[in-house]
Amino acid sequence: MSAELRPVSLKREGDGLKIEWSDGVVTTVAWRKLRANCPCASCLEERSKPADPFRILTPQEVAAGAPAPVAMAPVGYYAYQIKWNDGHDTGIYPLELLRKLGEGTDV
Amino acid sequence: MNPQMPPKLSLPGVKQVIAVASGKGGVGKSTVAANLAMALRMSGHSVGLMDADIYGPSVPIMFGLGAVNPQTTPFPIEKFGIRLMSMGFLVSPEQAVIWRGPKVAQAVQSFLAQIDWGQLDYLIIDLPPGTGDAQLTLSQSAPLTGAVIVTTPGEVSLIDARKGVKMFGEVRVPILGIVENMSYFVDTAGNKTPIFGVGGGQKLATESGVPFLGELPIDPRVAECGDGGEPIVRKYPDSPVARAYMTLAQVVADAANRPNAGALPQVQL
Repeated sequence: MSAELRPVSLKREGDGLKIEWSDGVVTTVAWRKLRANCPCASCLEERSKPADPFRILTPQEVAAGAPAPVAMAPVGYYAYQIKWNDGHDTGIYPLELLRKLGEGTDV
Repeated sequence: MNPQMPPKLSLPGVKQVIAVASGKGGVGKSTVAANLAMALRMSGHSVGLMDADIYGPSVPIMFGLGAVNPQTTPFPIEKFGIRLMSMGFLVSPEQAVIWRGPKVAQAVQSFLAQIDWGQLDYLIIDLPPGTGDAQLTLSQSAPLTGAVIVTTPGEVSLIDARKGVKMFGEVRVPILGIVENMSYFVDTAGNKTPIFGVGGGQKLATESGVPFLGELPIDPRVAECGDGGEPIVRKYPDSPVARAYMTLAQVVADAANRPNAGALPQVQL
């Protein structure tokens, strides 16, 4: 990804995030996919383990329902931090990751 | 404070925030930062110098200062017309700061946010070596204009400086350029002897595609001035090193004043 490639605008669209990029590409990523790909250390650790068939949802997850952002703010010049409705907020999504997750969604 | 939740800091009175960094220790970051700040001041700019090296602060000794009583001293402390802040003002030189990373991040943030820097043309930040807490905190929460990478000519220094370049690339902080310190020694006959190798700074600049800002010669008076509390740029303004710093200040100022892409857009949720 070239260093110049950057988002021009980001907005909620339906149940996902629509990003217009400086190269004209428009990507849309579902919130569910973004939540499932949270790059924080504890989520990475969780994903590296074999899936637990008996995993019990936390009360916060049950109360929150489908993943949705409560807040999303830029971090420096390179990433966005998403605060989720289940209370999770340690994921900092670099621009490269946001672009990669949206690949193939340009129309 | 959760170190992964960097508060967004804005320094409304500060026009340019420039980090002086290197992956490697001992290449002269603090000396370059102090003299660059002094050279910018002597070129007529208003300048601040923030020492982000929490474990090994060297700004106080380089400006002839020491620990003060934080209850009675307002920060930043002004010396030679430069506004200074350092951990060394808060802790006596005999004491060690034995902290884990999150506390370092917190200290760096409070130096930026809780100190009244006022109106400044340039705030120079002297970073510790490495690519850890202080660097990441600054990249995430400070409105950095760019970074100046310091290296010495040899390959041992370059391998670490390269990591510094890589880190700023990943967090998209523009690199204003690379400065090569301790490039050569000039004897009385005018012969240049390259003590630590040749051409490392230029090599790193070329391979990283960033500007090479210049070479700084070795002069025993640099160390003498650092220990003596007055930067060489001010004490021996006619020395070749001081002249190199004045040129560097101009180049850095020009690079910093070029428009950059700036902040990321807000999200419409």
